[in-house]
Amino acid sequence: MLNRRAALFGAAAVGLNGCATFDTPPQTAALMKGVAVPGSSGPGMAPAVELAAVPFFPQTRYHCGPAALATVLVHIGVKTSPEQLADAVFLPAREGALQPEMLAATRRAGALGVPLQPQLAALFQEVAAGNPPVVLQNLGLAWVPRWHYAVLVGYDLAQQTVVLRSGTVHRERMGFTLFERTWARGRHWAFAAVPPGRLPVTAGEADATQAAIGFERVASPAQAEQAYSSVLQRWPDSALAGLGQGNTRFAGGNLRGAAEAFERVALKHDSAAAWHNLAAVRSQLGETALARAAAERAVQRAATQEPNWRDAAERLLRGLPG
Amino acid sequence: MTRTRRILATTVAMSMSFASLVHAAPPTVAGTSPATVLITTEQAAVSQPGRVLLEQTLARADVAAALQARGVSVDAARDRVAALTDAEAAHVAAQIDQAPAGGDALGVILTIFIVLLVTDILGFTKIFPFTRSIR
Repeated sequence: MLNRRAALFGAAAVGLNGCATFDTPPQTAALMKGVAVPGSSGPGMAPAVELAAVPFFPQTRYHCGPAALATVLVHIGVKTSPEQLADAVFLPAREGALQPEMLAATRRAGALGVPLQPQLAALFQEVAAGNPPVVLQNLGLAWVPRWHYAVLVGYDLAQQTVVLRSGTVHRERMGFTLFERTWARGRHWAFAAVPPGRLPVTAGEADATQAAIGFERVASPAQAEQAYSSVLQRWPDSALAGLGQGNTRFAGGNLRGAAEAFERVALKHDSAAAWHNLAAVRSQLGETALARAAAERAVQRAATQEPNWRDAAERLLRGLPG
Repeated sequence: MTRTRRILATTVAMSMSFASLVHAAPPTVAGTSPATVLITTEQAAVSQPGRVLLEQTLARADVAAALQARGVSVDAARDRVAALTDAEAAHVAAQIDQAPAGGDALGVILTIFIVLLVTDILGFTKIFPFTRSIR
């Protein structure tokens, strides 16, 4: 009876929005089911991991964003501090830091910020791989949000607990259930910071590619090329990463290498953008006939399949000598 | 949007579109013609480059002005906007006052205090350091 009353009161307090029930949240339930199956502990997942060496920067008021960011960046060897990062992410009027700016500050510090799949299992696999994720939690409720960034540094499937670097607490232990609820209210948002040349083990192709594209904005050509190479290594068919490889080689003055990269993408994907860039680089290399052939292919392809590049391709073809 | 903000946004927009023209210039390689303009990876990643590019120049200017209006210095705002991808800039421009801003704000009034105390104890929230969820 008492329990039922508590449940009713709880439901009322939570706002009757239907999201808050006393059921175990779905991902926790699924994980536990996987663990309960004899002889299996999830998809090859270590039963318990804690990255004790991850540094801790106790946050000052409202500065959980810079603190969480410093935690993961210093962990991968970047020399920085929450004070330095505050200038890059803190938004005074909002008394906090926005998600896109967390990713942008990561790239400005020389690392890739790669958003992760919205799965507890993905977070745990990253922890096991030594990539502690930054997680966005809403510690309050949908209608009284209290947004908070923390860093997940450990989990224990048997105990059903996670360990976070959170706020002013060095080792905040939290049950799976509470963690999943607060993280789900942050729309399951998380990212891992990795040095260029590496990628989070669970990252999806689109997220990894976007991270490399963002990184290209602020990184040196050599570092940006490393980022694209790591994407190509895992997804050899990525047209965008191939294009990025060509663009960063070109930016670094390696015209031959750029032409090779563009040619590979052009032949494999018949992409107008790749033909276009190949033509431009060949023209600059003085290979006029080859440049013309590539530009004609770009125009043809743009006319039939990729109208977005028609203007650029036609302009390029017109501008070619002879 | 206030008049001042509009003027600020326009000024920033103009200076930024100029800056992006300069930025878009190809890297000069010794002994080669400077006319090579490549399609950037970011442009290739979006479906409608022409339209999006225009929107994004505006979005970037809006973001810089909006960051400044919310307490970020002029220099810091410029550097911060430059590090955003086009999609991120557009998102920030549209959502700057609604998007989650992780910060640990603890400004809770009394009724909400009581509600959150209960939800903390029931294991739905984790506002107060002294609570321990019953589950």
